[in-house]
Amino acid sequence: MTRLNHRFSGLAGSLVLAAGLVITAQAAAAEDAVAAGKKLAFDRKKGNCLACHHIEGGSLMGNIAPPLVAMKSRFPDKAKLRTQIFDPTKANPRSIMPPFGKHRILSDKEIDLVTEFIYSL
Amino acid sequence: MKKIVTLLLSAGLVATATQAFSSPQEDLQKFRTYFEQKFPGMKLDDFGNGSYALDESKRIQWESMEEFPPYDEFVDKGREIWEKPFKNGKSFASCFGSDPSKVRVKYPHWDSKTQQVVTLEGDINKCLKENGEKPFGWKKGPIAWLSAFFGYEARGQKINVKIPNDPKALEAYEHGRHFFYAKRGQLNMACADCHVKYPGHFIRGNLLSTALGQTTHFPVYRAKWAKKSKDGDGMGTLHRRYGGCNKQVRARPFKAQSKVYRDLEFFHQYMSNGLTINAPGYRE
Amino acid sequence: MKKLIMTLGLALLIAGCNATTPSKPMSLKEQYEAKLAATQAAVEKAASVEGEWRDIRWKKSKKKYLPSAIKAAEAGDYEKALKLLDIAEFQAKMGYQQAMAEKNAGPHLYGM
Ligand code: HEC
Ligand code: HEC
Repeated sequence: MTRLNHRFSGLAGSLVLAAGLVITAQAAAAEDAVAAGKKLAFDRKKGNCLACHHIEGGSLMGNIAPPLVAMKSRFPDKAKLRTQIFDPTKANPRSIMPPFGKHRILSDKEIDLVTEFIYSL
Repeated sequence: MKKIVTLLLSAGLVATATQAFSSPQEDLQKFRTYFEQKFPGMKLDDFGNGSYALDESKRIQWESMEEFPPYDEFVDKGREIWEKPFKNGKSFASCFGSDPSKVRVKYPHWDSKTQQVVTLEGDINKCLKENGEKPFGWKKGPIAWLSAFFGYEARGQKINVKIPNDPKALEAYEHGRHFFYAKRGQLNMACADCHVKYPGHFIRGNLLSTALGQTTHFPVYRAKWAKKSKDGDGMGTLHRRYGGCNKQVRARPFKAQSKVYRDLEFFHQYMSNGLTINAPGYRE
Repeated sequence: MKKLIMTLGLALLIAGCNATTPSKPMSLKEQYEAKLAATQAAVEKAASVEGEWRDIRWKKSKKKYLPSAIKAAEAGDYEKALKLLDIAEFQAKMGYQQAMAEKNAGPHLYGM
């Protein structure tokens, strides 16, 4: 995170200089999290969400599961979305979706990032 | 000691499972109805064509592959193995009878003497050992060629696995059934999740096949296996495929011809009873 | 099985000793030895119910957490060994738990 912040401050500095824009540190950090979360979600060895879900920007996607769109209206509560990713068997004990957190397929930190990304869809 | 514990454990598993016991016949009937309703109008034997039965463009590609099937050369190699005498002058016919077209339909079967499921591959190696020959490797190479030859000779006959009404045989069947339906591995998936619930759907670029008919065309020639081997031999046995499907959900695969996989095969092949044997098959 | 009982016993012994002599903290090596025994027992337990996961010790796994931990310890890196054992032990316990939860699985014919 500190590394991200550093990168951000450099970026923000040049943005301010170039366009005279002031972006809050939080918003940019959130953008970074979304990008990192996307990478994890698309990575076959990590989230591999595309194996089953359609997500905009992906390729070679499966069609086992509902497309992940308009997630804020499906999951107004971000914590509920995180729970779905952490352990989908809570909602559906026979779900084919892997319990990414419960079985530590992804770390807590990685789940947070993926949640940020999915929430942004 | 270890054996006793596993025995006790599996006895426990079976005891609890028996509460929900349905007979193999009932299972078979429900299983088939399930798929017939899921894919209305599909001919029973078409289920033996795997994912190619479920997608028109894949089917066309596959049919053109089948015009010059890459498995032919391995069926021929299997025939040579069948015909070649052992050092003691006998041959495989001394174990399997003289008509190779009558072999495949006998497997897998319950052996009441040894109280276990006997597979075709198991009997191939048993025959070699009994005749002082070196047994084949279990998953590919000569064992798959000979098995493919038996399958080829049996084309057109129907799978006909018998589950005798013997508590031990039923226990083996239930063990296989349980293995098929239980989630396993870090990804927490059962065979049934992919091949019962979602056949006809894509997982990544792979179209999932129905569990019904999944054994009719084994051993199989897989393009993927051919690419991996040095000499383009893509033949592999059913248990080789079981191992692949276990490890992709991050479960530790069992050894080919282990009790677990033989019991699984007992259940899995039984579920395709009545379907026409079309071995060997070609798959991606 | 004999091995399992012995390793279990060993683990208890080590744990017990540690409890009675709180003044002397366990060395990394001792921690490793106790954790190794506990992990091995957990892995055997998962395997006994057909619940072992791929990356604990299967020879073709690229990760092989358990043998990798033993290797790290042999090279004197107990910290790394302990980290790897953590993963192996967690996976073994979850594999066992999963098998227990699935004890009565099937037949599931969805929607029927
Ligand atoms: C093996 C297939 C599979 C994979 C891989 C998978 N999912 Fe799912 N997912 C499903 C299925 C199937 C559902 C539908 C609900 C159910 O059956 O549990 C679902 C449901 C969801 C839902 C709820 C959707 C809604 O509208 O209710 C979210 C959110 C979700 N998945 C996110 C993810 C994320 C993020 C990943 C990757 C980290 C992922 N999934 C990977 C199969 C999968
Ligand atoms: C994550 C989903 C998944 C799971 C779980 C899974 N498989 Fe598969 N399996 C596949 C895919 C993908 C293929 C290749 C496409 C096809 O033929 O279905 C395949 C192919 C097969 C085939 C070859 C089919 C053919 O037509 O040649 C068999 C047999 C098979 N699986 C059996 C099993 C068994 C038994 C299990 C449980 C031990 C299992 N699978 C678990 C995804 C899965």
